[in-house]
Amino acid sequence: MSSVRARTPLALLGAVLIVLLGPPLLTSGSGTDTGTSIPGLQFMVPNTPGGGYDITARTAAKSIEDAGLNHNVEVFNLPGAGGTVGLSRMVNEHGNGKLAMSMGLGVVGAVHTNHAPSGLGDTTPIARLTEEPDIVVVAKDSKYKTFEQLLADWKKNPRKMPVGGGSSAGGPDHLAPMLMAKAAGITPKSVNYVPFDGGGELLASVLGGKVAFGVSGVGEYLDQIKSGELRLLAVTGPKRVEGLDAPTLKEAGVDTEFTNWRGIVAPPGLTDVEREKLTRLFTELHGSQQWKDALKRNGWSDAFLTGDKFGTFLAAQDRRVDTVLKELGL
Amino acid sequence: MSTTGTDPTAPPRDSGLRALLRGRSELGVCLILLVLGVLVLTDAITMDTDITQRGPIGPTTVPIVVGVLLLVVAVLLAVDVLRGGRGEAEGGEDIDLTEPGDWRTVALLAGVFLANAVLIGPLGFPISGALLFWGSAYALGSRNLTRDPLIAAVLSLVTYVVFNNLLGVPLPGGPLMGVL
Amino acid sequence: MDSLSSLIDGFGTALTPLNLLWAAIGVLLGTAIGVLPGIGPAMAVALLLPVTYGLDPTGAFIMFAGIYYGGMFGGSTTSILLNTPGESAAVVAAIEGNPMARAGRGAQALAAAACGHFAGGMIGTILLVVLAPTVASLAVDIGAPDYFAIMVLAFIAVTSVLGSSRIRGFASLLIGLTLGLVGLDQMTGQQRLTFGSLQLADGIDVVIVAVGLFAIGEALWVAAHLRRTAGESIPVGRPWLGKAELRRTWKPWLRGPLIGFPFGAIPAGGAEIPTFLSYVTEKRLSKHRDEFGRGAIEGVAGPESASSASAAGTLVSMLTLGLPTTAVAAVMLAAFQQYGIQPGPLLFEREPELVWGLIASLFVGMVLLLVLNLPLAPVWAKLLRIPRPYLYAGILFFAAVGAYAVGGEPLDLVILLIIGLIGLGMRRYGLPVLPAVIGVILGPAAEQQLRRALQISDGSVTGLVNTPFSITVYAVILVLLGWPWIKRVLSRGRAARAED
Repeated sequence: MSSVRARTPLALLGAVLIVLLGPPLLTSGSGTDTGTSIPGLQFMVPNTPGGGYDITARTAAKSIEDAGLNHNVEVFNLPGAGGTVGLSRMVNEHGNGKLAMSMGLGVVGAVHTNHAPSGLGDTTPIARLTEEPDIVVVAKDSKYKTFEQLLADWKKNPRKMPVGGGSSAGGPDHLAPMLMAKAAGITPKSVNYVPFDGGGELLASVLGGKVAFGVSGVGEYLDQIKSGELRLLAVTGPKRVEGLDAPTLKEAGVDTEFTNWRGIVAPPGLTDVEREKLTRLFTELHGSQQWKDALKRNGWSDAFLTGDKFGTFLAAQDRRVDTVLKELGL
Repeated sequence: MSTTGTDPTAPPRDSGLRALLRGRSELGVCLILLVLGVLVLTDAITMDTDITQRGPIGPTTVPIVVGVLLLVVAVLLAVDVLRGGRGEAEGGEDIDLTEPGDWRTVALLAGVFLANAVLIGPLGFPISGALLFWGSAYALGSRNLTRDPLIAAVLSLVTYVVFNNLLGVPLPGGPLMGVL
Repeated sequence: MDSLSSLIDGFGTALTPLNLLWAAIGVLLGTAIGVLPGIGPAMAVALLLPVTYGLDPTGAFIMFAGIYYGGMFGGSTTSILLNTPGESAAVVAAIEGNPMARAGRGAQALAAAACGHFAGGMIGTILLVVLAPTVASLAVDIGAPDYFAIMVLAFIAVTSVLGSSRIRGFASLLIGLTLGLVGLDQMTGQQRLTFGSLQLADGIDVVIVAVGLFAIGEALWVAAHLRRTAGESIPVGRPWLGKAELRRTWKPWLRGPLIGFPFGAIPAGGAEIPTFLSYVTEKRLSKHRDEFGRGAIEGVAGPESASSASAAGTLVSMLTLGLPTTAVAAVMLAAFQQYGIQPGPLLFEREPELVWGLIASLFVGMVLLLVLNLPLAPVWAKLLRIPRPYLYAGILFFAAVGAYAVGGEPLDLVILLIIGLIGLGMRRYGLPVLPAVIGVILGPAAEQQLRRALQISDGSVTGLVNTPFSITVYAVILVLLGWPWIKRVLSRGRAARAED
């Protein structure tokens, strides 16, 4: 009996020691940081594996590791509500200099449509990395050969022309046709926008002629355009895209431009040193050959912008999105 | 309409009052369905629908249908219960329906589970997870005070290492992270 | 045949010792990680992506294929043994698989699932080789009205799982539909039943609902009525499928792919609806219908075969159209892009060696999976012999880990507990659990397709019936609904003739 009584406190003590001391001792990289590298750096992805922010974050993490800029970068997903769940977490991680989140225009829109309590103004902007214009595509057997033909019909009866996009209300593929409609003199409210669950489902609907035309990022359908399955009618950016035979919206007679972008933000309340370190990491990433190769592979355009300039840009995007969505009553 | 098998959880010889209470307890399900229906309908009706809507079906249509059906089913179920219909409690290998329900254990388990949700942030996963396992095993009748805490601690730590270190799914490590 | 010779070349690639090794590692890793709670195949592939970075593209994708199939199989293992599905495709496996495991037939359930995966994967992959271009072009013709017609059919099928008391089954279905309403409205972004919480904005995941109702609800219900006297542990039983069981399972194994493969290939198909439809079909066709709900082996064999075949169908649209129809396919698409390869119409021309090597390695992977898992089935089944307090404490522990690991939100644990308490109440008052899970799966999908169809037709109701496919499905529904009546008329006519 007495031996049991003596063993129990020992067992309890052992259990307490295991759960208390185990994690810190077994987890490397929790020590003090030295030099330029940031031990235990984590990238948070505010959407599901395979999504746009996920690919950006995982590509950046791999390039950072390959270029030897940081020993190890851990990527994890915290999806939800168009990225605003991740954003809220980011804002709660006040002062955490070892965390960064990939984000983009979609998160700006989601903050508005979801009435999220915290906005991007509450984070520390680090860098804008890439941008890509949207494209207007139809199936190869569609009757529209040029953007002008499409526009003429669209103006006549916007309600009967379903527009497919890969993002929910407030996302890039939703904003692009709305801006186009506005510039072409169509009431944005009469645009018949049909949201699809990402680029894959949208592609099927465009190929099958279920929607009049589709709007999506240029990188997603390069192959289908090259093989002739899809016909590209216009690109929404300020310039034509190299290797693609399609006019910009301005050339096609609609005075607007729209570019989707992706970047990195960090939690609020960082010290100057911590902010500098993260900014330097991404500046070095931007300069690396690995990143240049990755950009080319994914069809992304370089749009590097750091610090306060990126902050100003974020604020301007926020206002633009706000105006468009207010008009739609969102 | 429904299974009217005798409720095996009932003690064999019941006084009239208890039998009546037993009969009434299933009306609680109707009440819950009723409350749920009202909740769904309120949410749908108060929804701000100033949005371009095509056709007869908008964001509130399906909630209204579901809400109304909840109310209807609540009433039909109440009628069924008052007519003497009884839901048959589910049996199973580990389930002894001849014993009266041990609701203290259930409350204890739910409490332990809730404590885990509350403590996982401040104390970290290894501690809250070990408490969850040990607490549940204790509530279910395991009283080995030497073996149980050790099993719980090791299981929790191994899970932590597999998820956090090997797979890169971050779990909170506890108060000593970054101190040691 | 052109594709046949390409496939033989593909086997040449897949069967080199090194690639065989990658396939074996992939299958092992995939199974090991798929078994973990909260980690489905999509997560497993995403997590193991870095492991493949050092390999050449062919080796990497061969390993991926192993991880994918291994992850799917691992997912159903926890579903069967612990009642905690790790991903939505494995939810149905728990319904019959877990009661089988409880009754000491865990090894058979696992073996039926393993063979089901094997059969489904094999048939699915053969269909992939033979039909890829045809199926792909048909898949894009399926639009919102067609999906909605299938959903209506699925809802009618639900009536066969309502249980002995219709009204209680219906109440359960409505609870599921209510849970499915939670979240942002997919078409307009309106918040529904979220009570202003962002965490609820994406809705409640069907895996959380299934784990809550199945695992937590069951553990609490058992706790309320734990058999404290007889301490005998669950018998392990025979490790292999007997003749009688084989006789019952071979047809479901072959039927599963017919349902699973087309669903995998169409966008928005996924594996939940085909596994459920396969379950209902097997229940209808079984000679042992009374065993359903208490451990009918057909209810494991059919859905598991359908789920693997749907995975093969997913690959059809991904490889030929670059169209990811599931989360796993999206991750694999991203992985392809990491290697500078763009799946799509040009992939078969540009990278024949890689594609055919990948397809051949699917066959190889499935054989490896079967060889690995059949002997392991009895070993896994022994897991259930641990003392009851530890078993149920472990189920609660792993359910919590799974719910938390996905999003890192303590709120998910609270939701899980609430759903568990609902599950407890449903067991106490004889509300069947299955319709609720089906409601969560079908409700949101049906609503989205209905509203999308109406949006595309600009609100005109004719938009629901303007395709040959949807009209066909509605005709089938009418025949199914009218069948008792038609039968009566026919027999009356015959009777009248007999009298003449």
